[in-house]
Amino acid sequence: MQPAPPTAARPMGSPLLGPRSAGLLITPVWLLVLSLSVIPACYVFWLSLNDSTFGQSPRFVGIDNYRTVLSDAYFWRALLNTLIVVAVVVHVEMLIGLGMALLFADGIPVKPVMLAIVLAPYAVSEVGAVVIWRFLLDPEVGSITRALLALGLPPIEWGVIPWHGLLVIALISIWLHLPFTFVILYAARLALPADVYEAARVDGASAWQQFRRITLPLLKPAIAVAMLFRYIFAFRLFSEVWLVTQGGPARSTEVVALYLYVEAFRYNRFGVATATGWIMVIVSALVAALYLRRTYRTMFASPA
Amino acid sequence: MSPWHKDRNRPQARPRRSLRARLGKAIALLAILGWSLGPIVVLVLASLRPAREIFDAGAGWTFSPTLESYRTLIAQWPDFFSGLRNSLIVTVLATLLAVITSALAGYAHSRHRGRAMTASAFGLVLLRLIPPIVVTLPLFPIVNALRLKDTHVILILLYATFFVSLGTMVMRTFIDQIPVEIDEAALMDGASHLQLIVRILFPLAVQGMIAVAVFVIVFAWNEFLFAFIFTTRAAKTAPLVLAEMTGAVDGVDWGVLFAAVTLHLLPVLAFVMLAQRQLVEGLTAGATKG
Repeated sequence: MQPAPPTAARPMGSPLLGPRSAGLLITPVWLLVLSLSVIPACYVFWLSLNDSTFGQSPRFVGIDNYRTVLSDAYFWRALLNTLIVVAVVVHVEMLIGLGMALLFADGIPVKPVMLAIVLAPYAVSEVGAVVIWRFLLDPEVGSITRALLALGLPPIEWGVIPWHGLLVIALISIWLHLPFTFVILYAARLALPADVYEAARVDGASAWQQFRRITLPLLKPAIAVAMLFRYIFAFRLFSEVWLVTQGGPARSTEVVALYLYVEAFRYNRFGVATATGWIMVIVSALVAALYLRRTYRTMFASPA
Repeated sequence: MSPWHKDRNRPQARPRRSLRARLGKAIALLAILGWSLGPIVVLVLASLRPAREIFDAGAGWTFSPTLESYRTLIAQWPDFFSGLRNSLIVTVLATLLAVITSALAGYAHSRHRGRAMTASAFGLVLLRLIPPIVVTLPLFPIVNALRLKDTHVILILLYATFFVSLGTMVMRTFIDQIPVEIDEAALMDGASHLQLIVRILFPLAVQGMIAVAVFVIVFAWNEFLFAFIFTTRAAKTAPLVLAEMTGAVDGVDWGVLFAAVTLHLLPVLAFVMLAQRQLVEGLTAGATKG
């Protein structure tokens, strides 16, 4: 934290804001995250090494809780369900989001209105989305059910057939989060230099060649970031599942977050729940490992 | 800051498109329209239908709109309106808390660069890896012991906490664009740092503050998990009441439920439409800057 020489090409701020004032200004944010996020998360780690229930003093058991979780068939079922839903949700979102971003960048009529419309699902609550889609998929009168029947297809029986339930959960998830993926990709696409495309056109590149050789490579960083964020957030999926199937029938549509909730608050198996919690943290960290390493390097290489 | 509403990339002389390409585009746009807006339109229309027609497969597309479902909602679900009130209180206060703390930290991160601040920024990125459901486990007994269960306070603190990380990064990006000369001039004139921040930088960074506010407002207004775990009666928020109304599926009055979902959705939908530009800029800043 050495004060920069005054002649330097203005290393931002240092002379303007001393370390003490800077520390003071970040204190409120850090107080909040330490007390309600960091310390609780660390405490969960400690609890996961203990045998405890609400209101009892913990007894140290090492990695026993992790062993219990990893030998529980329900956990593996939940993990598998989560991985399937996450994979479907994130990749479908990415494909549709990319297609939409390119379509919008190509120029469309009444663009501001279309943008507002595309963003609309972002404002909808999970509960609201579940209500709407349950109505659309209602076995008796749902518009989608009737359309499926009219096409000679079977209706979606989300309350009965487990994979139908997961399908509906994935559908609702995609609907709610597509605006996020789209916005990231569209903003990145707009930031690409126009002259590259101009040059490609002059050279007679086809639309497909432009996409393969210019758009896709240049958009890769944005695609990677959007997918990373979505992987991490989709992995926490809880509300949609709770509101559509409650994990049923017979715990067949549970996801990891729901498994954690049920173990903690229904079966009172606190050790199992806390171990599951840390497994969630570790999986998120693994998914983000490369990104974190790169962020760490760029951040600490040039404090800018 | 973003070229959002400008068509920078549009070539000057557009090559003529074939009819088929234009038709394809029209169909794609219609599909996007139906996908994004269709479900919301269906909801609002269903809330305006006479209740007995909603589940009548024979009923046609046309109907005379009625506020019957809304009247039933008011008469039978006072809980929903106290839920809306709780949501409003929690949302407003969580937003204020998150925006103010993020703006202060964002200013510090923008104007003071050093290893400690870099560590702080990296720490805030790492933080986003902690899933909210994980912290509910140890907080549950503590919140009980502190008698914060079923209060607005715990929700306000939690909602703000889970957005200050993103908020700080977004605010830093916005404050970075304000020239340091403005700081220097104000400090030279004898202003204190706090005066400088509140009187000069906040008004200039108001777009960033709106961006952060949009995130927190949409999140806090719609949030389910924390409210589900930490509130039971007095502080119950609207999404929880909605879930309760759906829970009673056999006896559920769908018209009333649609009316409630519509009332809960419309204000925040209008807000997202109005703050569209800030939302997009905030998302972009938050996703690309750590």
